[in-house]
Order: sequence, then structure tokens, then C-alpha cells
Amino acid sequence: MFSQLWQNILEWLQNLFFQQEMELTILGLQNAGKTTLVNLISTGDFTDDRIPTVGFNMRRVQKGGVTLKMWDLGGQARFRTMWERYCRGVSAVVFVIDAADYDRFDTARLELQDILSRRALDGIPVLVLANKSDLPGAVKDIDEIINTFGLTEINNHEVSVYSISAKNRVNIDVTLQWLIDHGSKKTSASTAAAVVNPALHNSQQSTPAQSASAAPTTSTETPPSTS
Amino acid sequence: MAMVSDERALAKYKDEDMIMSPLLYLVGQGDRLTPEEATEVFFSVTKLFQANQPSLRRLVYLAIKELAHTAEEVIIVTNCLTKDINSDVDMYRANATRVLCKITDAQMVQQIERYLKQEIVDKNPVVASAALVSGQQLIMHNKGDVVRRWVNEVTQALDHKSPMVQYHALALLYLIKQHDRLAVSKLVQSMCQQGARSPMATVLLVRYVARILSEEVTEGTEYKDMPFFGFLEHCLRHRSDIVMYEAARAIALLPNVSPAELQPAVSVLQRFLVQSRPAVRFAAIRTLSMIASSMPLAVTSCNADMEVLISDPNRSIATLAITTLLRTGSENSIERLLKQIQNFLCEISDEFKVKIVVAIHALCIKYPSKYYALMNFLGNALREEGGYEFKRAIVEAYLGLMNKIPESKETCLSHLCEFIEDCEHAQLSTRVLHLLGKEGPHMPEPGKYIRYIYNRLILENAVVRAAAVSALASFAAESASESLRKSVAILLRQSLMDSDDEVRDRAVFFSQKLGLEAYQKKATAPPGPEEVAELQEDTKQGMNIPCPVPNLEVELTRYLSSGIFDTPFDMTKVSKAALVTSKDSEVSARNESLFGDSTGPDAGLGVSAKAQVDLAEEVMATPEFSSFGRPFKSCPPKDLTEAETEYTAKVIVHLYEAHVILEFICVNTLNDQLLEDVFIQVDTSDVSGLGGMTIVPAPRLAYGEPSRSYVCIDRTEVDEYPLGQLACTMKFSVKDMDPTTGEADEEGYEDEYGLDDLELDVATLMAKPGELPSSFKSAWEALGPDNEVADSFMLEQHDSISSAVTAVMDLLGMTACDGTDNVNDRARGHILLLTGVFVPGVQVMVHAKFVLTSECVALELVLRSELHAVSELLANSISGSD
Repeated sequence: MFSQLWQNILEWLQNLFFQQEMELTILGLQNAGKTTLVNLISTGDFTDDRIPTVGFNMRRVQKGGVTLKMWDLGGQARFRTMWERYCRGVSAVVFVIDAADYDRFDTARLELQDILSRRALDGIPVLVLANKSDLPGAVKDIDEIINTFGLTEINNHEVSVYSISAKNRVNIDVTLQWLIDHGSKKTSASTAAAVVNPALHNSQQSTPAQSASAAPTTSTETPPSTS
Repeated sequence: MAMVSDERALAKYKDEDMIMSPLLYLVGQGDRLTPEEATEVFFSVTKLFQANQPSLRRLVYLAIKELAHTAEEVIIVTNCLTKDINSDVDMYRANATRVLCKITDAQMVQQIERYLKQEIVDKNPVVASAALVSGQQLIMHNKGDVVRRWVNEVTQALDHKSPMVQYHALALLYLIKQHDRLAVSKLVQSMCQQGARSPMATVLLVRYVARILSEEVTEGTEYKDMPFFGFLEHCLRHRSDIVMYEAARAIALLPNVSPAELQPAVSVLQRFLVQSRPAVRFAAIRTLSMIASSMPLAVTSCNADMEVLISDPNRSIATLAITTLLRTGSENSIERLLKQIQNFLCEISDEFKVKIVVAIHALCIKYPSKYYALMNFLGNALREEGGYEFKRAIVEAYLGLMNKIPESKETCLSHLCEFIEDCEHAQLSTRVLHLLGKEGPHMPEPGKYIRYIYNRLILENAVVRAAAVSALASFAAESASESLRKSVAILLRQSLMDSDDEVRDRAVFFSQKLGLEAYQKKATAPPGPEEVAELQEDTKQGMNIPCPVPNLEVELTRYLSSGIFDTPFDMTKVSKAALVTSKDSEVSARNESLFGDSTGPDAGLGVSAKAQVDLAEEVMATPEFSSFGRPFKSCPPKDLTEAETEYTAKVIVHLYEAHVILEFICVNTLNDQLLEDVFIQVDTSDVSGLGGMTIVPAPRLAYGEPSRSYVCIDRTEVDEYPLGQLACTMKFSVKDMDPTTGEADEEGYEDEYGLDDLELDVATLMAKPGELPSSFKSAWEALGPDNEVADSFMLEQHDSISSAVTAVMDLLGMTACDGTDNVNDRARGHILLLTGVFVPGVQVMVHAKFVLTSECVALELVLRSELHAVSELLANSISGSD
């Protein structure tokens, strides 16, 4: 009983001084690589897991003083109606795309636009990840992705795009950095004011995706960071 | 439901237990959440999977389990639960298993099967039990196809060192094998030898053994000779109470168990009667009371102990003790018992009072000589406080007694008269008044009832007043006494000015019909005795509508709703046969359970008559046959298949003057098939008098939805009666269907399915008359001896009068008059009076005399009907069957 109490006090102190918590929701069509990405972030290992997620996975990871709580939702059609419930009030939404699956680009675009058009999610920053850049024929050009998925038309959200490969760990570090930045920013921003003038922000990739030292630019509010 | 608005606070999972506990409490208390609320709460709860505290997680499991039925999209937690099943915390594993099996569907089960199998053989008893119980749940909810493959794992779990796991494993193993009689027998045998560690498992074993025994017993064998019976007897000496009780109960419930076999069980129960725990006493007395209903003698040894229980602080135990004693007690202890019941009658609830009334009624029939004391008891009970059900039970008991014990009639009537003086239930008052009108005029002193009826006329509401007017009028109609007629006339005079239309109408109608106006006006001379006799006859005719009232009602409703009034309503077309409705059979079943000798302690309660369902409704609504009108008779549905087959079919036979329509109600029990164009091919070659056929197929027979298909067979001659076997085959085209999506294949193939033969016998063609003749004798005389057929038979396969009587009634399908179907068990001779209506409306009456000889029952049969051919046919049917 007492130790429990002590534990709680400790936790509270930790939260006060050291830690920021952020909640993330990871969306995308089935087989886009959501669960694989989450596993990669939390364990650092790439696992080629082919079991579809029925429902959702919940993961907690600590990265750079931020605790990430990740809701990894199933991408099958029957779960898509439930996405919104897990997006309300999160720090950021991550939308994962299979960059080599041309046939379903349209579906993915519609789902993305649909979920972002919900009023309840207004203002939540969105990170679009074009995964599987290692596959031959995968779309790696950021502009092409922006156009294909109509990202310029989204105006209630701050939107960023990376081309990544979970398998080869390309751009995973910048992705994490983006998440951590937004985690700390969200908590600090919440004391100030809501995002007043949300604008489109896309990160341009200067070097080919294969190179691990990509230097993406991000929003105006966060200065461009290089790793 | 203020809780629901608070549920958002769940998202901040700090005070979760404080919110979840009351929420679960509400759901547990039976407060229903709407699906929207439940879904909302459910999704909030799922967010708590982020926390990792065991106590909170347990609440999450409970909440999901409770919400699983009402909330939508519960499948979303599948992944989380699967993860928990694979965690290393045993509590998580066990609970997640139970919850997952609750929310999953048949397809998903296959994906988690691997984990469940592992868990069954897990060392931890909680985990193993959870998986076993989940397996049972899956089977019971028809998701358990995979479970049947677990036999090896479950058998292994049977040897688990925890008694709980053994118990659950046995239950699951039985569920898996339950349809394989041999496998069950083997399982039970090995378990009996090896002995179960847990008393609960032993209880299960006792139940299985009892089931095997009652299935396997054949006539002539004693249970004692069967190997499994020894196990039951052994269990009677078990050290655990529940096992002893279960074994005693199992023995008591075996069909046709002999008194010697029953004795040890009864003595175990007797020992339980003096136990300190009320639950044990209740169980024992309840079982004893059940035994007493069929074998009162076996229980008499417990009488002394049961008498002590009458003063038991638990009223349920006391009531059961009383009702049991009423059955087992000897004739001379009745008065003493009655006195004791009287003392506590006011303390118990209506439900128990009804039980006591039923028991008393049964007792009256058993000891007719004691009816006076018992009647007085019932009379006192009538004066007690009590609800409608209680009063109704007493009135029903009186009605039953009047039929069975004629000498009690007068006492009955005077008790009932007193009752309506202060009765708050109009329904019961009208019933009693009708009875008074029917019976009163034939009593030695009709005058004394008139006072009671008249009091109703002044004091009661319109419904009762109307009934009272009718009752009074029937005195005038039945009685020959001039002075009585005059007093009735005077009494009715005031009702002529009644404020209620119905009362006034009735008063005017009867006054005119019976020639009572003369007395009322006093101006003209009253009609002479001859005129009176004529008027009375007239009225009786007038009151006797030529067809049963319910039939008339149904036909009139049909006429009015058809909207076609070109032809006037023809009363002669209304069927004279009693409408066979499902209510009908239910009511009779209920009466039997209420008043039959086999009355169990709780039989007959809670049986509520369902809404009246007209069997002929569907066929009359079918466009092809609507022009036929109402059938002469519709037989109750008859199964043409076993209960658990791929397709089941029932048939309702509708008889018309010129047709026989067979209404087949088919059910497809395979969820992966869709049947189309379903029809029944009927082979009429063995049956004479049947001609052309019209078939109306059922266009579609989807899984679990009954569909009707019809076969209409023309009858060639009115006097050629269709008797014999009809071979039936169901023909259809099958389309395979995906049970989950409900999509059927494009292509189907033809197939057929054999059904049982449908037998058309004499009883099929015989209908129940709408109204029984008030006196068999006068109806018999009226029918006359013109078409009389007399014959005598030796019924060799019967060794008692009662079985012979039942057989003859079943064979002819006729209804007994004047209560002659009640046969005294020890009677050496009996006279049975039957009446019925043979297709298409021929009245038939039978006078049958049974005499018990040394080897068999001799039957002298006299048949009268309106058609000689019918009399012949019926007499032949008896000799044919013998």
C-alpha cells in the first residue's frame, strides 16, 4: 500500500520534471507496415510480421525524454470506421502508405482525406510516411506523393511527409525526431494557444531515399533539423 | 445513467477504478445501456489497455465481457487480448482467454485455437480452467467446431492435479462427445472406475450416469442389474453433501424406478431434512415432494420429519412440506393437516398459496369422502386476502371438483355464491354467475341462488350485471315453476331501465323471448303452461347457436375484414368442429398439469396461455386456397422428421369437403445452404379416394427460417374416406452458401430428402365438436338408432381399463362426455361416452362398455351417427387395429 503510494509520488515527480508524454495514432491501409514500424520504434528490430492486426495494438516507448504511447490500428476496411475514436485528442496522427502499392493509392487518399476532414481532429499535426521505399518501383519523390495524395488540399492540419523504409531503416531517425519534437511542442503549445493558422508543411527530401543521412525540412514553427 | 456522461473521464485513467466499479455494478444490476452508450463506454474502456496495473486490467476485462453483447465493433480488442493471452502474467492469460472467446466469431476461433490448446494443458489451474470453460462457451454458442478437435488435450487435463480443472475438463469432454452415445458411455465408465477428485465433477458424473440409465433402460430390466446403477448407490454414501443429494435426486428421477431401488435415496433425503442448512433442507423436501407426486407411498416414511418442517422458519420449505404431506398423508390425518395449514396460510405468498390449493384439489379427488372438510378449507381460503391468481386457482378447483364429484355440487355452489358476494375480480364473478345460470336451475332449491344473483344485479358494475341478467334468465328458461318465472320477471324488470346498453339489451331480449313481459306489465294474462314450454324450447334454440361461438366469431371477423358484403353472412357455413388452436392444446395441457394426478409441486405455475393461434390462418391466407373457406378441421402440427436433422418438416393436415390440403412447414438447419423451389412430393397410391394434386412450392428456404409449401389433393368421392399412408419426399434445388457473407452460389443442383410417412387415420378425419352436449343421453336419443352399429371386441394387448379407454379414444379421435374419461384405477368395468364430428360434418356418438376379464379387456361398442357408412367405418377401424 505504502510502496504503491511512494511509486505514484515518484512518477508524478518524474512527470513534472523530466518527462513529456505524447500519444500517437498510426493509421493506414492494411499491409502498409504500421505494426512493423511500431515494432521497429519500440524494439529497434525489424520483424517481417505478416499477421494482420485485428483491432489495435498499444505500445509505450521512451525516446529522448518523451514517452510515446502509440495506438497502432488495424488497417482492414472494417476497422477504418473506428479510427476516429482513437485519434481524438492525440498529439499527432501518423499515416503510413505502402509506396509501392499503386493500385490502392486512391483508397489510401480517400481514407486520409476522410479521417482528416473530421472536425474533432482539427489542428492535430499529421505525418505522412511513404513506407517501403526499398521496394523496386516505390514512389520516392516527395512532390509526387504530395500530388498523388492531395496533401496540399488539407488545410486544417499541419502536414509533413517523409519517404521511409522500415526494412532498411531509412529516415527512421528523422521520423522519430519529428515525433519527439511534436510531442514536446504540443505540450508547450497547449499552454500558449491553439494552432492559429495551420498551413501545409512538407519536408523536402534533398538526397535519394537510400542514403541514410537525409536532411528533411519541416515546418516553419520547428526549425529544420538535420541528423 | 449519469455514469455514462462521466465515462469520458475514463480517458484520464487516474480514477478509473472509482468509475468502472459503479459502472459494472449498474450493468450487473440489470440496467441496460443503449447500444450507442455501450459502444461509447466500450471504446473508452479499450483506451485503458495503455495502463499495466493488474487490478485495472481486470476491471477492463470485466467491462468488455459485460459490454460485449450490447456494444458494437467489440472485435477491435482481439489483438490486445491475443497479446495478453501470450503474456507471462497468469491472471492476464486466464481472463483474456475468457473475454476473447466471448467476443470472437467462429472464424477467429481458428486463429486463436493454438493458444487455447496450449492453455488447456497449462500447469496453472486458473489458466487451464479458463480455457476449458471458454471451450464450453464456444460449443454452446455454436462457435465450437474447432473445440471438437481438442479431445486429446482435454483428456490430458482430466488428470490435472487441481480438482477444479478436472471438473471443467469433464464437462467439456462430455459436451464434445455428447452426441456419440458409445463415447459418452466409455468416458463415464472410465471416470466412474477412476473416481473424480472434485465433488463437482462427481455431481456431473452422476448426472451423466442418470442420463445413460434412463436412455438405456428397457422394459423388464431392473436398474439394479445395470452396472451404472451401482455407481449411483455408491455415491449415496459419498462424503460430500452435494454428491449424495445429486445421486438421490438422480435415482428419484429415473423413469419407472422401483420402490426398492428408491428406498436408499429416500432415506438419504430424509437425513437431509433435519440438517441445519436451509438450502439442504429445501433441496431434500423439494425432491421428496417430486417423488410424492408419482409414488406417495415411498415417501410416507419421512412423514414425521416433514411434519416438523411445517413450522420451519423458511416458508418455502414449509409450503413444500405441507403439499408433500397432503399427498403422502393417510386419509385420517387430513383434518389435522388442514388445521395446521390454516394457521400459516396468511403468512405465505400467493404463489405458494396456489400450490396448496392445487394440492388440496388433488387430494379431494383422491379421497372423495373427505371432500366436505376440504371444501370448507377452500371456502375459508376464498375469504382470505389474496390476489387474482390465488382466487382463480380456488374457483378452478371448485369447478374441477364439481365435475369429478357430483355430490359436492351443492356445497360448491353455495361456497361460490358466498364468494361472489364480496369479489373484486369481475372476471371471476362473471364466471361464477355463468356457472350458477347453468347449474342452479337443476339444483333441488333453485330459489336460493336467485338471491345471490340478484344482489349482483344491484351492486356490481356493468359487466357483472350483464352476466347476472343472463344467469337469471336461464333460471326462467329452464324452470317449470310458475312462481319462479314470475319472480325472475319481476327482478329483471329493473334491468330493463339499466344505464348500460349491454345489460339493458340482454334484459329486453330475454324478457321478450321468454314471454316474461306479461308478468312485468301485469296487464295481460301470463302465458299458459303450454305456451311457456314452447317459448322455453324456442329460447333454448335461440341461445343454442348452431355452431360453436368461437368459430362464429372467427368467421364473422373474416367476413367483416374481407370487405365484400354482396352475399349475406351464412351461419350454416360455419364449421361445427372445434377450432384447433394452439391455445386450445395449451390450455388443456395446463389444466392437466394443474389438476392431473401427476401434479408436481411447481407444475402449472408460470405457464401462461399464449395468444390464440389459428392453425388454419396460413392456409386461408394463401391466395390459391382462399376461395375454399375455412377447413372442416386442421390437425395439430405433426413432425415428419427427427428433431435434429439437416432439414425438418412438420405437416398440418387441413380437411375440406372436397380437398385435403397438406401444409408443410419446412426448416433448413444448415447455414451453408440455400434451398429453392422446395416442394413435397406425396405418393397417394396407397390411399383411396384421392385424386389430382396441386402443388404450391416454397420459393426459398433460407437457413433457420421456416417456409411453407402446400399440397392440395382433390377428393374424388365425398363418401370415400382417405385413409392410409402417404409417402412424402421433399424435393428442392440446393445452392451452397457462404455462411458468413450470406452469398449463395449461382448454380444449384437438384436434391431430395426422404420424410416419414404421413398417416391419415380415423382420428385425423374426426374433429372435436364445438360444444359438448349438455347431456349425452338426450343427444344420443336425438341421434336415433337408424345408423346404429354394435360390435364387441376383445382388446388383448390391454391389461387395464384405463389403458384400453385411452387407446380407444386415441384411435377414434373423439371427445369424452360427462367426464367418462376418468377411470378408476381399480375399476373392473367402465362406460365411456364419446362424441365427435366426422368429416365433412357428420355427428358421431359412441357408447362403449369396458369389462376387465382375466386376460384382456372386453369392449362392447355401440356407434350412432348421421351416416351408416361412417358408423361402419369407425367400427371397422377398431377391429382393424386390434
